[in-house]
Amino acid sequence: MSTKIRRIVAGVSGLAATSFLAGCAKDAPQDTWQPKGTNAKIIDDLQQPVFAIAGVIGVIVTCAVIYCIIKFRDRGQAMPEQTHGKPALEIGMTILPALILAGVGVFTFRTVFDLSKTSDTQMVVNVTGQQWWWEYDYPAQPEMGITAPIITSGQMIIPVGTKVLLRETSRDVIHSYWIPALNGKRDAVPGRVHTLRLDADKPGIYAGQCTEFCGLSHANMRMETVALSKEDFAAWVANQLTNAKSPAEKTLAKEGEGVFLNQCVRCHQVNGLKKADGTPAIAAPDENVWSGAAPNLTHLMSRNTFAGASFDLLSPKCRADVWGASSETVGKKYLAGVSEECLNQTDLRRWLRNAPAMKPMYADPAKLTSTNGKYRGMPNLGLTEDDIDKLVAYLSTLK
Amino acid sequence: MAIIERPVTTQGVEIALPATPSRAQGGFKRPVATTGWKSWLFTVDHKKLGIMYGVMAMFFFILGGLEAVLIRLQLAAPNGKVLSASVYNQMFTMHATTMVFLFVMPMAAAFANYFIPLQIGARDVAFPRMNAFGFWCILGAGIFINLSWFFGGAADGGWFMYAPNSGPIFSPSHGVDFWALGLQIAGIASLTGAINLIVTVLNMRAPGMSLMKMPVFTWLQLVVQFLLLFAVPVITVALFLLSFQRNFGATFFDVSAGADPLLWQHLFWIFGHPEVYILILPSFGIISEVLPVFSKKPLFGYPFVVFSGAAIGFVGWGVWAHHMFASGLGPVSVAVFSISTMAIAIPTGVKIVNWTLTLWGGKLRFTAAMHFAIGLIVLFTIGGLSGVTHSVAPSDTQQTDTYYIVAHFHYVLFGGAVFGIFSGFYYWWPKMFGKTLNEKLGKANFWLMVIGMNMTFGPMHILGLQGQPRRMYQWTEARAGEGFFNLAFWNQIASIGSLILTLGIFLFIVNVIKTTRSKERAPLDPWDARTLEWMTSSPPKEHNFDVIPNVHHLDEFFHRKYEQDPVTHEYKQIATAEEILADQEAHADKHIHMPSPSYWPIVLAATLPIITIGVIYSIPVAIVGGIFLVLAMFGWALEPSTAPETDFDPPASEESTKELTPLV
Repeated sequence: MSTKIRRIVAGVSGLAATSFLAGCAKDAPQDTWQPKGTNAKIIDDLQQPVFAIAGVIGVIVTCAVIYCIIKFRDRGQAMPEQTHGKPALEIGMTILPALILAGVGVFTFRTVFDLSKTSDTQMVVNVTGQQWWWEYDYPAQPEMGITAPIITSGQMIIPVGTKVLLRETSRDVIHSYWIPALNGKRDAVPGRVHTLRLDADKPGIYAGQCTEFCGLSHANMRMETVALSKEDFAAWVANQLTNAKSPAEKTLAKEGEGVFLNQCVRCHQVNGLKKADGTPAIAAPDENVWSGAAPNLTHLMSRNTFAGASFDLLSPKCRADVWGASSETVGKKYLAGVSEECLNQTDLRRWLRNAPAMKPMYADPAKLTSTNGKYRGMPNLGLTEDDIDKLVAYLSTLK
Repeated sequence: MAIIERPVTTQGVEIALPATPSRAQGGFKRPVATTGWKSWLFTVDHKKLGIMYGVMAMFFFILGGLEAVLIRLQLAAPNGKVLSASVYNQMFTMHATTMVFLFVMPMAAAFANYFIPLQIGARDVAFPRMNAFGFWCILGAGIFINLSWFFGGAADGGWFMYAPNSGPIFSPSHGVDFWALGLQIAGIASLTGAINLIVTVLNMRAPGMSLMKMPVFTWLQLVVQFLLLFAVPVITVALFLLSFQRNFGATFFDVSAGADPLLWQHLFWIFGHPEVYILILPSFGIISEVLPVFSKKPLFGYPFVVFSGAAIGFVGWGVWAHHMFASGLGPVSVAVFSISTMAIAIPTGVKIVNWTLTLWGGKLRFTAAMHFAIGLIVLFTIGGLSGVTHSVAPSDTQQTDTYYIVAHFHYVLFGGAVFGIFSGFYYWWPKMFGKTLNEKLGKANFWLMVIGMNMTFGPMHILGLQGQPRRMYQWTEARAGEGFFNLAFWNQIASIGSLILTLGIFLFIVNVIKTTRSKERAPLDPWDARTLEWMTSSPPKEHNFDVIPNVHHLDEFFHRKYEQDPVTHEYKQIATAEEILADQEAHADKHIHMPSPSYWPIVLAATLPIITIGVIYSIPVAIVGGIFLVLAMFGWALEPSTAPETDFDPPASEESTKELTPLV
């Protein structure tokens, strides 16, 4: 009998395990079982045995129930003994799971503290969530080559093999920063600063998604962490530290700069942009947007997504080329940015034409009484097709 | 108050009834109808109220189910267009709110109301009018919350309604107001119900029924009532803070005013985690009745099941922050709550072991009720084990807020709570309505639900582990991965599964209609049951028992039917249910003193939505509602618990057994 049970257990558990593993997608970008950094690996090492133990126990219980169903069905046998239990067995069955859990508990305890360490930090990025995009601000860290603060959004760039500490907060509601391949998630809570360790073993683009429900467009609040080799990272930093150059006179892009100065600069900063009178154009999103921030667009074309990393700046073909690149080539391809021929004109134009139609936002001026008329997200600016042509030409120069 | 004295006679001397005022104080006559809609509207009978709770819960189950189907249709394909972002957010908020507060809780209350008095050999609950008040409150709450659909949109912050997203700035529609105030009313129902049932169980058990001879269902429901008694005040406070923030400009969760939004999370989950046990323990109780009956064995390790239930009731208070492992609590809190969460797996595991060992060596009859009960063991075990993986905090930071946790709690709540409830339907239907649900349809119902539920929620484990977050109105192919079994495939399977599940539940409704139309009466004791509720007619008389039984054993009814031969140790039947009932009827108590119907519970309950509507739209309306509330309370307080003779039409004579059937 016991060998029969053992065979059933082995058979069912084998079947369950293989069907589960075979049933998984290949290369799902947010797969939690494919760790690509130290922290995610620590978690994975802890959770795999727990999943295995849980799986085995599940199979044993299922088999025991199936055995009872087969063995003890009513075949006209006599009324069974009216036994009320066996205390020794009961106590044993209480202690056994307690012991298993105690073992799991010890390792969990250790891992929790390992993952909360901040003493070995090599680099810091301030990560701020707001409806519905992430802003990254790199404080000046000369030892990392960051001689002046850098502000970017959507995609966070880190050097490989470097222990990065994120300091997360939020400007409105609670968001959660989650790059499954690199670490678990951590909420970004307004009024608090939470830390999260992050590092990547190899260069690559690691996908993530805001995982604390943050209102209307929660589904459209994505992000990526891009790990670059140390040299590529230095190149990226060097580029980010430069100001945007004004396009040559009498080009479409120059006209686009005018449109930008008319419309976009109310919220979006472009470092180095000057007004017609030569004074610096300073964005004042706090006057228009509830969270008081809008993405800095100085190096828009150095990132390959926009609008909370929800839409691609790269055309599908170019995107596949960059995202599918090996860890050796991904850095160069990423640093190349978005070229004229790779630009995803369709989505960018649709966005400029009517942003709330692409990504639901609170941007209808008639319905903003609760926020004193301030937008949450980008409104429809009523740009003409002409303006859009000019703007696209200008934005393409923001490398 | 209308505590029914036990009509016990000591040495044949009848105890005198208490004197009641000779005139009702309310200015009008009491309701006395025993048939027709009035007999339902003004009833204080725990059985009628139980049925009304059940009907209401079933209605909201269907509503919440339709909301779930819409969610699955939206997610069946990438970039779903069935619902807009705004409507989708309302949909998942209301799906959870409906299923938790308006289906599982009232359905558990339905079973508790109907069967606790019967199981402990009482004639009603301790406070019958308060019982009716509780029902009218929850019904009002359900209607009120759902009215928001027609007044600018339902709540859209998720059922956890995290601050500051729930505040007036980020959720400007009135949906959250309806939600918060409606749940306050539901909370009143839960609190009055809890106090009522605790007093009933502690004070009104039949003579001889010590606590350790009490049926397990009643025991676990008692634990649930204590959980409600202590958990509901916490959410009440939280909801008051939220309502004051939204309607009166308070700043409890306003960060710019120095608040910490985590306050809401702590309050919500200090309620929210015990709530999980409030949802699941009634079903544990149901199958702890069903498994022994259809195994022809007592529950294995009765004291262990009882004490582990009580242990869950205690430890359940120390695990709330496991909902917040990603919130940034710091490593000490995370580690401690991780360990306490593992600890609560132990008493839960004990139950699974005991149920399995109840089957072991039994004589199993696979009725529909038994199908659902066994289904619960397996499905709940899966949910429990994925819960254990969640208790490992670092692992949880990967899986929380993904579909993995959606899978987890649906295995626990659908595979657990809902399967238990369906087991209860099939088991107790003949008791409640005198007719047995069709067993063939019942088994088809079971299999469709098992297949549908595993197809719907099983793939969600994979979806979550492969990184699909929850609460997203659309998912994108860019994150769905490659290969045939990519996330798109599993999303499709889940959506198809939800339709199969719907079909299964539809079969149940067909079964109910078919059974109601059928003329075939159920036998008195169709399952060869073990507990007191089966020792009376089906459906039970208004006063439940002609004679209050004297209890000598756990599983008293079994021991009245069977006797063990002292030599052969075999059990032989010594009496049938019919004989036992006939014996009771022959010795029926003469003066059975039942509480009279009353207008006040429904009147008082009706004032609450007036107040809450006033809070949202116009304070004078709330004040008017408040005045009616106070008047109704006085009317209630001045009304005697039993109707005086003058209230009957024609006036009841001295000799009539007026308490039983005032107007025939």
